[in-house]
Amino acid sequence: MSTRADILSKIKHSVDLKHPGDFLGASEDFDFRASLEVVGARVVSPEELEVLFPVRRRYEKTLDGLSLADVEVLEIDGEFGVAENGAIWLTEEAFPHRVAPFICQHLVINVSEIVPNMHAAYARLGGVNSGFGLFLAGPSKTADIEQSLVIGAHGARSLTVVIRS
Amino acid sequence: MSSHAEASEKFIADAERTDWHDETLWFVRAKRDKASKVLPEWEALREHASQIKNHTLANLGAYLEAFEAKALANGIKVHWAADATEHNAIVHGIIAAQGSKVLVKSKSMLTEECHLNDYLALRGIEVVDTDLGERIVQFRKEVPSHIVLPAIHLKKEDVGETFHQHLGTPKGNKDPQFLTEAARQHLRGHFLASEVAITGVNFAVAETGEFVVCTNEGNADMGAHLAKVHIACMGIEKIIPKRVDLAVFLRLLARSATGQLITTYSSHFHQPREGQEMHIVLLDNGRIRQLANPKYKNSLKCIRCAACFNTCPVYRRSGGHSYHQPVAGPIGSILSPNIDKKANADLPFASTLCGSCSNVCPVKINIHEQLWFWRQDLMAEGLAPVSKLVGMKVMAFILARPALYRFGGAFFRCFSTLLNNRFNPWYKQREMPLAPKESFQDWYKKR
Repeated sequence: MSTRADILSKIKHSVDLKHPGDFLGASEDFDFRASLEVVGARVVSPEELEVLFPVRRRYEKTLDGLSLADVEVLEIDGEFGVAENGAIWLTEEAFPHRVAPFICQHLVINVSEIVPNMHAAYARLGGVNSGFGLFLAGPSKTADIEQSLVIGAHGARSLTVVIRS
Repeated sequence: MSSHAEASEKFIADAERTDWHDETLWFVRAKRDKASKVLPEWEALREHASQIKNHTLANLGAYLEAFEAKALANGIKVHWAADATEHNAIVHGIIAAQGSKVLVKSKSMLTEECHLNDYLALRGIEVVDTDLGERIVQFRKEVPSHIVLPAIHLKKEDVGETFHQHLGTPKGNKDPQFLTEAARQHLRGHFLASEVAITGVNFAVAETGEFVVCTNEGNADMGAHLAKVHIACMGIEKIIPKRVDLAVFLRLLARSATGQLITTYSSHFHQPREGQEMHIVLLDNGRIRQLANPKYKNSLKCIRCAACFNTCPVYRRSGGHSYHQPVAGPIGSILSPNIDKKANADLPFASTLCGSCSNVCPVKINIHEQLWFWRQDLMAEGLAPVSKLVGMKVMAFILARPALYRFGGAFFRCFSTLLNNRFNPWYKQREMPLAPKESFQDWYKKR
């Protein structure tokens, strides 16, 4: 018997415990900007962005992730932000290659829509809309050396968010 | 292999370091408290997550099949492994077909459980662990001492010395910022060169066939998106039914683990990218046995946040390596005996049964009760340490005989030094209280 068949035959279906359904009663009173600050992102106006990062790589698609290794600043559009935790939903359609938001040195994300919490976020997403998507909250970070927070582990060293209306 | 008690004795020999370890983890626990208390619905979220996991475990077979069907339709290759050996052979087969000799791996406790790195090393394949903490312990030929904070047992001086030896950083430099930058440059070279990347899996969604990997560093993504082949390894208990369930788990996971609002990256892998091969290996390795046991099946609800580690008074003061298993702490102590009862018979005793682990668990696993169940099972099967077996038998004999009990009490009140000496393990590092002159019974009779 194959391992697959063996595993599935050994798993006994036990008492049927119901799925509790959608979570109801989640808090909605969150401040997206405050959460962004907590996760280490910086919020700037479009004018400030021009001063901060005058040169930015935009969308051109590529199949070669390695070609992005020298990208200094990447600017992409997020689908929406989540107020409770400062996360921004991104899909691969919005960036040159899946590795782009990780391999660039500095990341800029434009956001125009905000949902209050993660439940609202998944409700808004509905079904799967991309081969790869992620919630990104702040720049790459680590605290693996004596719990000292260091920004810029392997991914982008900074995250700049522009909230556009 | 030393037992937990023996290994802990070495760990606590350095009192200052023990205090530092204790305080550092308590600090993480305090951050968890702060992050959880911001949400008035925290307890409802825990209950909800617990119910989702209970429901999933009750229907695990059906959800695994649903997940497999969706994943296959998404273009992901799905493999099934009964045990660690089969898991490692599958992973090796995929790597061998690609012809890689060096590959990158992000954090996966499951591959630690299977000792994948050693298996591949014997076959001439080098695994570069890319999580900073894991890379540090890998350089030192150690194993992670904590499932979320792998190098929490080390001080920055230790890391500085390790990096000086392996990465050529200046001797004596112990600045976390500088050392992290050195690791970034070193590992970036590996990310850019690796054709195969291995990652773990935090959640796999039956409804969509996608899987979610959470990191703060971005190492899983750097590896997976540059490699031609991505292998994701997961235990069969990582399945969740629906995509919306992720909202509940992602809200709980990082808050419970480190007190963060969410991990920096929560990546949803749904399809391989163009030209990429994506594999998922589903591992049993004793999980079905655990599932079939009503006393222990709840342990499979675990989402590996390690909140139980950080709160545990025994873990904080004995260090992860004392548990001699990849998953240490309270949760490890109820998972490990299922894999090897005899080798891990000491672990359920490495607890005060205070119950703090169960109280912080985001999916409401009754950890401290299961520790107690394991103690009973291990005692019944004669697998507990001999001193405990004998001690318990003597106690039972005395407690069943009131006259003997009273005599024993009176005797040891007179000759308390017979108990307060170095042969009594309870006497170590403790000032035992002086015995009162009279017993409660004597006192009560006089009233």
